[in-house]
Amino acid sequence: MATIEVERQILPILGSPNQGARFYNPELPSSEPFVPGHRTCAGCGPSIQYRMTSKASGDNTILVGPTGCMYVANSSYLCTPYNVPWAHTQIGSAGSFTAGVAAAYEAMIRKGKWKGKFPNIICEAGDGSASDIGLASISGALYRNHDCLIICYDNEQYANTGIQASSRTPYGGMTTFSPPGPLVPEGKKLFPKDLARMMAAGHPHCYVATASVGYPIDLMNKVRKGLNHKGAAYLMVYTPCQKGFVYETPRSIDLGRLVVECGLYPIWEWNPEKRAFDYSFRPQNMRPVSEYLKLQGRFGHLHAEHIATLQKFANEQWRMMGVQLPEALIHAADAKNLTNMAAAAEAEAVAQTL
Amino acid sequence: MATMTERKKKTVRINGCVASAQAAKYADVDVIAAYPIRPYTATMMALAQMVANGELDAEYIVADSEHSQLSIAHGAASSGARVFTGSSGVGVQFAYELYSPISGSRMPVQMMIADRTLDPPGDFGSEHTDALSTRDMGWLMGWSCDAQEAFDNHLIAYRIGEDPRVLLPQMVCQDGFFVSHITGDVDLPDPSQVKEFLPPYKHPYPLDPRHPVSHGPQIMPEQGPPLQLERARAMEDSMAVIEQAHEEFAQIFGRRYDPWVEEFMTDDADDADVVFFMQGAHAVTARFAIQHMREKGLKVGLVRLRTIRPYPTDRVKEVLSKFKVVGVIETNMALGSVSSGGVLYGEVAAALYESQKRPLVISFMAGMGGEAIVLKEFYWMTQKMMDAQKRGKIEKRTHWVGFEE
Repeated sequence: MATIEVERQILPILGSPNQGARFYNPELPSSEPFVPGHRTCAGCGPSIQYRMTSKASGDNTILVGPTGCMYVANSSYLCTPYNVPWAHTQIGSAGSFTAGVAAAYEAMIRKGKWKGKFPNIICEAGDGSASDIGLASISGALYRNHDCLIICYDNEQYANTGIQASSRTPYGGMTTFSPPGPLVPEGKKLFPKDLARMMAAGHPHCYVATASVGYPIDLMNKVRKGLNHKGAAYLMVYTPCQKGFVYETPRSIDLGRLVVECGLYPIWEWNPEKRAFDYSFRPQNMRPVSEYLKLQGRFGHLHAEHIATLQKFANEQWRMMGVQLPEALIHAADAKNLTNMAAAAEAEAVAQTL
Repeated sequence: MATMTERKKKTVRINGCVASAQAAKYADVDVIAAYPIRPYTATMMALAQMVANGELDAEYIVADSEHSQLSIAHGAASSGARVFTGSSGVGVQFAYELYSPISGSRMPVQMMIADRTLDPPGDFGSEHTDALSTRDMGWLMGWSCDAQEAFDNHLIAYRIGEDPRVLLPQMVCQDGFFVSHITGDVDLPDPSQVKEFLPPYKHPYPLDPRHPVSHGPQIMPEQGPPLQLERARAMEDSMAVIEQAHEEFAQIFGRRYDPWVEEFMTDDADDADVVFFMQGAHAVTARFAIQHMREKGLKVGLVRLRTIRPYPTDRVKEVLSKFKVVGVIETNMALGSVSSGGVLYGEVAAALYESQKRPLVISFMAGMGGEAIVLKEFYWMTQKMMDAQKRGKIEKRTHWVGFEE
């Protein structure tokens, strides 16, 4: 059988420093595959991520949207914000539908049924899809190594359905499925699933990385590295949700940096060639977790002991990254040195009346 | 120059599973989504070997579940690829979520189903309940009764489903084991015949970066009804295309099928009083039993439904109104339904409601769990129908064959 060789796109890596968030970068492409005209909330982290990601990917792109905020709030019938092809799929079909698109293009280009460079195929799955109901389908797509990029836009909850706990909701995070009460003062008792590391460990031939909307150039470069990697790539991106996290709307990007600076969201890359983690990313500052927690209503009920538990968790993440812990962070992991959140007493009082 | 006589037709002895795989190969499918479950697995085994041998250029994907199989098929069809997938039994149901989204996005995915009893308790015999449980999801659906018909139905279904006037997915069903694992002589056509019959798949709105479209954006309640109406009309409008496709198939391949029903010993000369109404492989035994009973002077015939979705209501009404008693052989379960038996009773009774001349209708639960329907059971059922004819009324709506005197 005569076959045509599949030609793939190579996107340049941006040279700007990772730390800069708010400045004009002339290297950024002018194309806007994700345009205004959607119904996301003001300050929506996932949609900021969506714009950066699709900008990095360019116009020869196909987007796949499993059910979630980035489906429901983005794509209103007769008014969608996508300048590139986009398809909805079921919340459990993130990896499988995307695999179908990638397989179709492999076959159609090879058999001469479609002419052009292999498109960038990106799936935008929420953390509910990526960590729970669609986990097997994504693992299948990574395992089979389809040439695509699967992004988990991680807002640490099922937000579209009205803020319910997912496997990515942090310890202590209040959601409507993990409310605090006299018997469960911390709200969410479980620690989040270590999703990105699970994907790297289980699919070592894939490019896997974590990123945050607080570091746009780093995020866009990782999108491009994932797309340039021939085969499957996986990216987990911290994308705050104003509605679920309950914070002041303009602070989305600040939270995207604070979560990294306090050690709760380690930024790393898995290098599939070297089969090794790259932990060299360092934020400008290191802070105690309380500085991140106190900006968000979802943590307003926490007591000193819960904050200390989260600090211990963050400290473990720093150690995992090979960072020498400053004395202040060790100090902050002891509940004796902490105070309850300002709203904790009120939260308790409300809970008693229920 | 190739002429009709030079065409490379050949007859092979293969089972229903391999016939389905051969049809997918002749259709030059681009993407295949596989996941193992008996008995349809043998189709995917055959396709895997064809791809490994270089006989078929397709992406062969071993999915992580049936849900993923159907999602892969959905994604690939949405991108413009011709897609083949399949399943059996509980596998058909594991993928249930996808059936409506696929027909709703008007993607002509093709799925081969070799029927299997649903759990419990892990019976792998054939029963039509698996596919029939999805019958109202907007998929074209019909049963073949042998390997040749299975091969033909796959090609015909692609032709119908991919027609721009239709754009609907298709379930091409065959009885597990009775078709899937019984070998028979199958005429494989010359590829040029398939080329003439089945044009390349071309969806009008694929996911193509040069012509951006959004598939399946979220809608408001008031936007729902027009889209549902469109899908309902596509199903209705497919009937003319189905008839045209069968006609052209007959002209190109030389095998003629009535798209809706096969009638056996029911014409004026045979003048049947009582008939069996059924789908699928047990019709082969039924024909034999009927011939035997005819020799004894019993006026019995057979009406085999070939396409259940879209359901040929008028045709069923017209055909069945000719008889005194209709015995519906279910081979499926519809617990607590109209007849407390199977799905087909309701379909038959509803079609006959508008008839001026309504026959008596009896439902027979036979061929359950993958059991063969043996000759003496056909004789027993015929006796029940003739008793009803004599009495002018039925004894009861549903008989569980083999559990009564």
